[in-house]
Amino acid sequence: MVILQRKELTLAERLYLPEILRGLSITFRKFFKKAITRQYPEEPLPKDEVTRGQPRLVVKDDGHLACVSCGLCEAACPAYAITIDGHEVDRPIEREPERFEIDMLRCILCGFCEEACPKDAIFMSDELELADLTRAELVYGIDKLKRPRSALQKRIDYVYRINDRWRNSSSTP
Amino acid sequence: MTEIVIWVVKVVVVWGALLTTAAIMSLAERKVSAWMQYRYGPNRVGPFGVLQPVADGIKFIMKEELVPAGANRLLFRIAPALSAAPAMLAVAVIPFGYTAVIAGHEITLSVADLDIGILYILALGGLGVYGVILGGWASNSKYSLLGGLRASAQMISYELTLMLSIMAVVLMAGSLDLRQIIEGQRAFLDWNIFYQPLAFVLFTIAMFAETNRHPFDFAECEPELVGGFHTEYSSMRFALFFLGEYCAMTVMAALNTTLFWGGPSVPFWPDAPWYVGVVAFIVKTSFFLFLFIWVRWTLPRLRFDQLMRLGWQALLPLALANVMVTGAVIALTAN
Amino acid sequence: MTTPESTGKPTVKIQLNGSEVEADPSQPLIRACHDHGVDVPMYCYHPGLHPVGSCRICQVEVKQGEAPPRVVAACRTSVAPGMVVDTESPKAHETRRECLEFLLKNHPLDCPICDKAGECDLQDYAFQEGQGEGRSSEPRRKLHKRRSLGDVIVLDEERCILCSRCVRFFEDVTGTAQLAVTGLGARSVIDTFMGRPLTGNYQGNVADICPVGALTLKRFRFQARVWNLTKTVSHCAECSRGCAITVEVLRRKQVKRFRPRFDPNVNQYWMCDTGRFAFDHVEIPACEPGELTGGRLTDAVQRGAHGVAGQGVAGSGVGARGLEAVDVDRALGRAADALTGAAARAIVLSPFVTQEEAGAALELARTLGAEVCFVSPPPNGLQDDLLHTGDPCPNRKGLETLGVPGLGADDVRARLAKAGVAVLVGERVQELIGLERLAALTGGVRLIVLDLVAHDLPGLEVALGVPCHVEKQGHWLNVDGLRRDLAIARSAPAGVEPLTRLLGQLAGAVGRPAGATAEVRR
Repeated sequence: MVILQRKELTLAERLYLPEILRGLSITFRKFFKKAITRQYPEEPLPKDEVTRGQPRLVVKDDGHLACVSCGLCEAACPAYAITIDGHEVDRPIEREPERFEIDMLRCILCGFCEEACPKDAIFMSDELELADLTRAELVYGIDKLKRPRSALQKRIDYVYRINDRWRNSSSTP
Repeated sequence: MTEIVIWVVKVVVVWGALLTTAAIMSLAERKVSAWMQYRYGPNRVGPFGVLQPVADGIKFIMKEELVPAGANRLLFRIAPALSAAPAMLAVAVIPFGYTAVIAGHEITLSVADLDIGILYILALGGLGVYGVILGGWASNSKYSLLGGLRASAQMISYELTLMLSIMAVVLMAGSLDLRQIIEGQRAFLDWNIFYQPLAFVLFTIAMFAETNRHPFDFAECEPELVGGFHTEYSSMRFALFFLGEYCAMTVMAALNTTLFWGGPSVPFWPDAPWYVGVVAFIVKTSFFLFLFIWVRWTLPRLRFDQLMRLGWQALLPLALANVMVTGAVIALTAN
Repeated sequence: MTTPESTGKPTVKIQLNGSEVEADPSQPLIRACHDHGVDVPMYCYHPGLHPVGSCRICQVEVKQGEAPPRVVAACRTSVAPGMVVDTESPKAHETRRECLEFLLKNHPLDCPICDKAGECDLQDYAFQEGQGEGRSSEPRRKLHKRRSLGDVIVLDEERCILCSRCVRFFEDVTGTAQLAVTGLGARSVIDTFMGRPLTGNYQGNVADICPVGALTLKRFRFQARVWNLTKTVSHCAECSRGCAITVEVLRRKQVKRFRPRFDPNVNQYWMCDTGRFAFDHVEIPACEPGELTGGRLTDAVQRGAHGVAGQGVAGSGVGARGLEAVDVDRALGRAADALTGAAARAIVLSPFVTQEEAGAALELARTLGAEVCFVSPPPNGLQDDLLHTGDPCPNRKGLETLGVPGLGADDVRARLAKAGVAVLVGERVQELIGLERLAALTGGVRLIVLDLVAHDLPGLEVALGVPCHVEKQGHWLNVDGLRRDLAIARSAPAGVEPLTRLLGQLAGAVGRPAGATAEVRR
């Protein structure tokens, strides 16, 4: 048990007035400080490869999606935002998504899809703005999701880098 | 005929100034708070956000007005007006300058020169609480009711201190007429602040409580009562409550200037032209309006029991003692 | 697979992972392990096929008598008294892991594409027992990824682990050996004889028993990821055998697979392709917007009093009185009015109705004093000596047990021609009677149809939507009189009421005096 000794206040403290004046002087001095607010649309947010924005699909250099519609991101997605239907294509990689939809209103930008993807086909881009007039417009299909690999290269490199670090650290006992 | 014209012009100018002040205050409140917190404040509507009050006004008008189920509809509707009207009326007796001479006409710079100006203001100040109480009661909401009850208890408590601190000034001036009071303070060293510093402090504290401002805004008290007496209000009726609050602040700031800081008196320039006096009055009043905001964004809200104890156990005895001492001194020196 | 069959058979005692258990000596050791809840991996072994011991993944440590313990393939080792079996010994694990490494040496890493992923034995055991990384630096085999083996099956030779389950399936089960392992050593592949396509009504089973994704169904290929399928225990509707199946539904909407389910009394592990691909009877598309016929019927339609422009009139030649959409309550009221007003009434059931629905129909027949029969189409020629009975009526036995006679389509038509009002009950009832027969009905019979789709038949009074067999509960009796339960694998389209409820409400409505039946309360 601890018995706290309450401090006796001096007269000045009990009057409060000096402390009130001190408080007023503090706020008055802050009055002239420069604002630190970010004026958002004019001053965009800083973005780098760590920024985990909306997920985007990688288009390989041959023009096809890297995605084979394996459905692992769909299974990993905690918000059930992803819906994939695959179909057969006449290429060495036999399958590609026929429908790949991310409901951006459901997406929580957690990055699990990026982590789950075995084909390096989905990455978190630095695109953050999301606005539209209808809910249906915000369910993004392949045409809205696909990005050339070069547009996502920074993030891809970053993910490779951190995964390598993880791999090395876990393999050492 | 000229009398009437002058009178109408005075009414229009004073009320216009009062309402404009209220509008500016609504912007200033946000701007000042922002600056004190390293922010910008409203800066989207017009240059530096100066048109924000206009935008707010438009929005208030466009908003749907809601009346809660079970509310007393009549009282619910008239309460905002009851809250705003006394403050707007009280401004009539505030002398905002000495006597102006325009085109050969001598014009006293106040809407009405009442012999009992102070009583008039105190009476209207007492009425102002009705709007809050009725608004809170008529809303049929527990938060509103509690806000209204607190407001009434608080206003009654602090009105005593307010009156007694004014009484000391009245004793000094020997008159209830505000013009008499400013005439007595024409010279810089005659300002009541130098003779009645305690009364000034008491008046200032009571002024915050009387206008329901921080740190005594128990009628609203967002963390406990959602919005206090105006929880259920929306649209223009809500705006009226705010207008009333800002008008009351303006009146109180002007009263403080008049009672303690010489009103339109300009230090070290007793023969200053009348318009300089008006400017001096405006500057002084503006400072107190700024003080309202400044204090709001500095001090935390008291607890309700602290508020009552402060009012009844600290301020009231001090104010009584101040009146007695002042009276005794005047009686002694007169003899 | 793990159903103990030891009842009444002579057993011997063996030691299995430290506990004494009784095992059937006529079965391989792996069966004894599975029967007692010990999980021994297997690829080539299948309880419905003869064991060959080609994959070696089921190796366990066995000690018999005084001999030192040996690692043996559990599928090729008979149970012997006094055996001491340890499935979890370090040696057994080691052997299985090495075995797995060889299997994975040439197995392509295309799990993301492979349809088997998620229900793949190789994946599961590799995850359980194998090592994370391969040690081989040699390139993997390059073989055909897409070899069509007939109309049903596609073979991916790279994925194949040569377990020969498919080969043995055609040898043991259908008796038409069509597949073989051809080539030698590392060049061994599964192939058909002379490259001829597979034939027969049981090809689909090889895709089920394939432990990896080497054999896939053309109809299911890349259609869905298996973990997205909701599996419901049910029974096949395609013949009177009533094979035990699971109905696998994608995203609560689309039936993607019918797969056989082990039933020792009926179908063992197998089912025929007719039943496996019978999606047409459950995947009926919705009507085109603005149309009332030609698609799945939700709610109800009725013959309009004055006809509705553009609906059902064109091409049907029925004059100005077209079809109009109506809610179920009003449709039932209309049907009840028609039934009460008529003299001769007939009820024709579909052979797909469950016993419960048939009971409700008989109740209605009692109320009406109507004759009941069911449509009994002729054998469809698919009969074989394995599973398919050739009789497309899954509940023939049940209906006959209830005393409902089965009539051929022409007899049904004759009966309808005599009736004033007829109620056609159950999915596909119109189709089984024959649309042309119904359209050519003379004598002014008014039809009340409870079916999956509405057709603009001249005699149609009211048509109400009903659930199909994957959307309802109930039971059938199969050809041997065995109870075949149905379960709701997906919900019926909005507006479709259970058939038992519709019939019950109709029976309740006709029991009341005419005029009071316009509104049926639920």
